[in-house]
Amino acid sequence: MSAVIEKPAQTPNAGRHVIDEQSFTHAAGLSTGPVSVEPYRSPAFFELERERVFKRAWLCIGRVEQLPQENAYFVKDLEIWKASVLVTRGKNNKIRAFHNVCSHRGNLVVNQTCGVAERLVCRYHNWQYRNDGELIGVPDQKHFFDLDKKTCGLTPISCEVWEGFIFLNHQSKPEVSLAEFLGPFGTRYAGIPYFNLDETIVIQADFKANWKLIADAFAEPYHVPSLHPATLAPGFAHPEQNRYARPLSAMAHGIHRHFSAYGNPDYVPAPTSKVEQLVYVQDTGGVLGGDDSGNAAALTAHPAINPTKDRSWSADVTWIFPNFNIDYSTGGFWTHEFWPVAHNRTQWTLKIYIPKTMSIRHRLQLEHYACRWAEVVLEDVTNCERIQRGLESGAKDTMILQDAEMLIRHSLHVLDKWVKADHVADALS
Amino acid sequence: MTAASSSLPQGFEELEGFVPYWVLDSNDQRRAARSTAEMDDIQRFYDAIVARAEQAIVHCEQFTLGQMPPASERLFKLLLAMNHAAIAVEMHGEPRAFDSTWPSAVRITQGPWPHGGRI
Repeated sequence: MSAVIEKPAQTPNAGRHVIDEQSFTHAAGLSTGPVSVEPYRSPAFFELERERVFKRAWLCIGRVEQLPQENAYFVKDLEIWKASVLVTRGKNNKIRAFHNVCSHRGNLVVNQTCGVAERLVCRYHNWQYRNDGELIGVPDQKHFFDLDKKTCGLTPISCEVWEGFIFLNHQSKPEVSLAEFLGPFGTRYAGIPYFNLDETIVIQADFKANWKLIADAFAEPYHVPSLHPATLAPGFAHPEQNRYARPLSAMAHGIHRHFSAYGNPDYVPAPTSKVEQLVYVQDTGGVLGGDDSGNAAALTAHPAINPTKDRSWSADVTWIFPNFNIDYSTGGFWTHEFWPVAHNRTQWTLKIYIPKTMSIRHRLQLEHYACRWAEVVLEDVTNCERIQRGLESGAKDTMILQDAEMLIRHSLHVLDKWVKADHVADALS
Repeated sequence: MTAASSSLPQGFEELEGFVPYWVLDSNDQRRAARSTAEMDDIQRFYDAIVARAEQAIVHCEQFTLGQMPPASERLFKLLLAMNHAAIAVEMHGEPRAFDSTWPSAVRITQGPWPHGGRI
């Protein structure tokens, strides 16, 4: 089964629109034909993704600030692994990850989502583990048979940190390191200043669509004027200068990718929008801005961000393969996690990093920011569930992508490589 | 309604009628309230709170965030709900996004402090 149609049918020059700017798709070395929709609706393809993508790729599961002190831990359920994962910060601030499963009878050890503890106890028979995974306590040990505690620790999961983001790999001995996996993306996006790391707005949805549909929704701005006419279009498109919100740039970085979104530099709230005027922070330069310009200036100075240094810039969407976005804007940054549950079900989490509330007016701005975001994604999630129904109907076998949708094409191209490659090194080439 | 029976600070009695529906503890609850309200009711609340917004903000600014007397906190929560009413009035002209499904799977599971809530 393939995510890419090798020999697309083409009608030469029939009504063909010639894109007069640089083609992002051509520059990325991608084909331009229709793409198969099987990866979005096939349960068999979903199982291939589980085994060959999600159990071999490095997956971002959070940030180091979720472990704010020594002995802090958090637990995350990864449905795609059918696993409960325990992440700990032990002595010397070493971050480790384990399967949250007791060596005795397989019970889940920790049932709190987060906390602080040096010792973790399975409540079934009170077996005790240190947060470095070692088994340190077995009640009534003398009645076991040749029990060697040293071999009965928690099962470790490969865990590495890049720029404060914690990545896990399901392979007991990962075929490639995190640095190799991130490749040119990891070096290009290193050294970006992250700020406002302690406060977040979190928006989540568990909904009936393939995980790639919601990832695709954040991967192209072509839909902004049509699907988000009131919530986003006034800030991210322009009736004359950029009617279809064409990206400022869109590039592949190895198996990862980014696009830079246009921002309307002339945007101000309409005179009739009294509340938006009251709460809008003018100097962030974007309607999704949650912070002042000081932090934004340091961010926008980084060469990876808004690489063409276009004045009409609003945000960069970076898509780390397979299911993680880090997005940077004039007002700060946010992340998306797209977690597959089934071929037609996804758990999605948006974390928006915001400054600490400083005043009454600032708090009102943050409320407006959060509810605008929720409204934008209501439009997206509603839409994804409809697309899923459309695709599962079998009416169409392919979808047609334009140049601004290059990231989706690249995603399917890379996905196809991963499901076909027997070795991760081949999938990275 | 007399000032003595108002649950809001003195001078804001006219907003009392909006307290039962719009004074809520979390971002997600305020969003749900707006999304399920009738447009006429949203507009009525919007008009009333916008007319008093500057004065209400000045009133709330007397206190430390998160430590307001109950009456002032209720007024502050009306100001927070004003943002949600604005989504309907200023963006959509209807209670929520055109053609959107409701109830929705989308939830604001953590809002900004204070009174953002956490699910």
